[in-house]
Amino acid sequence: MRRSKACAGLVVLSLAAAVAAGCATETKRQTKMGSGDVVADRQRLMKLHGALWTDIQNKAKANNIEGIEVSAEGLAVAAQFIPVLFPEGSLTDKSKAKPEVWQKWPEFEAAAKKLQTESEKLRDTAKAKNAQQTQDIVKDFGRNTCGTCHTPFRVPPARSS
Amino acid sequence: MSFCRRFPAWWSDLSRRGVLLGAGTLLLTLVIASPAAAQSREQIARGKYIFGAAAGCGCHTEPNKAATALNAGGRRYDGPFGTVYATNITPDPETGIGKWTDDQIITAIRAGRRPNGERLLPVHPYPTFNGIAEEDLRALVAYLRSVPPVRRANTPKKITVPMFETVFLPAWLATFAPRETPPPAAPTSGLARGEYLVRAVGHCGECHTPRGMTQALDNTRFMSGNPKGKGPEGSMVPNITPDKDTGIGNWTEEQIADYLATGNLPNGDVAGGLMGEVIQGSSVGYKDMTKADLLAVARYLKSIPAIKNKVGE
Repeated sequence: MRRSKACAGLVVLSLAAAVAAGCATETKRQTKMGSGDVVADRQRLMKLHGALWTDIQNKAKANNIEGIEVSAEGLAVAAQFIPVLFPEGSLTDKSKAKPEVWQKWPEFEAAAKKLQTESEKLRDTAKAKNAQQTQDIVKDFGRNTCGTCHTPFRVPPARSS
Repeated sequence: MSFCRRFPAWWSDLSRRGVLLGAGTLLLTLVIASPAAAQSREQIARGKYIFGAAAGCGCHTEPNKAATALNAGGRRYDGPFGTVYATNITPDPETGIGKWTDDQIITAIRAGRRPNGERLLPVHPYPTFNGIAEEDLRALVAYLRSVPPVRRANTPKKITVPMFETVFLPAWLATFAPRETPPPAAPTSGLARGEYLVRAVGHCGECHTPRGMTQALDNTRFMSGNPKGKGPEGSMVPNITPDKDTGIGNWTEEQIADYLATGNLPNGDVAGGLMGEVIQGSSVGYKDMTKADLLAVARYLKSIPAIKNKVGE
């Protein structure tokens, strides 16, 4: 009985040690992610979003519904990085973020989450080859996802072309 | 035995009510089916379209409150003269424009005068809205009357410049404010339609045209943008003349129309800020305009003089 308890204790300790080691490795890995300049990193991420969104629009215009799936998946994955790349206090001269990002953090997080869920919805609709529904989603997608974040939380860029 | 004795009183009462209800329904059907009612529905629909082409008169609705307080005002605007708050333009008789006549509402929209003669501040761009055709204004009024009334008392303005309203404003309006001229009828197609939508209804110049030292729109630099701090609410506003380097000269008409309908830019970005708001609108916005109208707007914007003016970095 004592032996089994000791074994169980050993297993728990081993697991805890393994988890702790895993967390440390994970933390180290996360630290290594990005360039160390969080503003530059998030601007790169937004450029990636823009490229994926342009790709989706081009595919929709060409009626390449199946092709939309992979771009929408990319957008859904990339959207998950948004909150991480907006740590408090990261409002530099180069940043186009408004202070409202941190003043209304739950709204900002919800807008990022919406981009993810709407992208997943678009991905699934495209995967199901539902052409009309996919086109309907694409039509309002930019305004209903990116736009709901850009309007309250971003200083508009100087040039739009 | 009388009829009433043979049937219970409640039955008689119900019959009477049934007859009345039937007559009422018939009358209502006749009214709804009448040409006047149909014309009114048509006019409201046309007014709603104009409302959207005027960016959903978004100044009068606080952000994210279109569902509950459309046109109820309250939005704050700071100017060099003080602070004003958008007014309630719902049909509420006490706090809105419910007691105003059609002509009084039109006078306020295009001439900036309240029914009591008081002058509105040109934060409401009446010199520009003066260019809206009479028929469109009448339709717009029909639409404004059709939305739910909201009881919300107007927030008093705070003017910090002495004699601003009694001396400076009238003098400024008489001397500097460029007033658009209304066409006898709203143009329906071509460049004229685009010009009408851009210059008068859409009031694009209010944000995109720089202001001179007098704060009047400088139409010699029509649509050439505003740097940070000079646009509305201190924002930077892009140059939308056809200049290829600093404006939208590289955009196709299709891209301009697509942008106004969806907010999607050719470079993959999506509109935000005030432009995002006017595309979305309150109940309706630029996004709800017809493709033909959006293309007319695009064609007109491509036809105006290209002005090199780099705003921002």
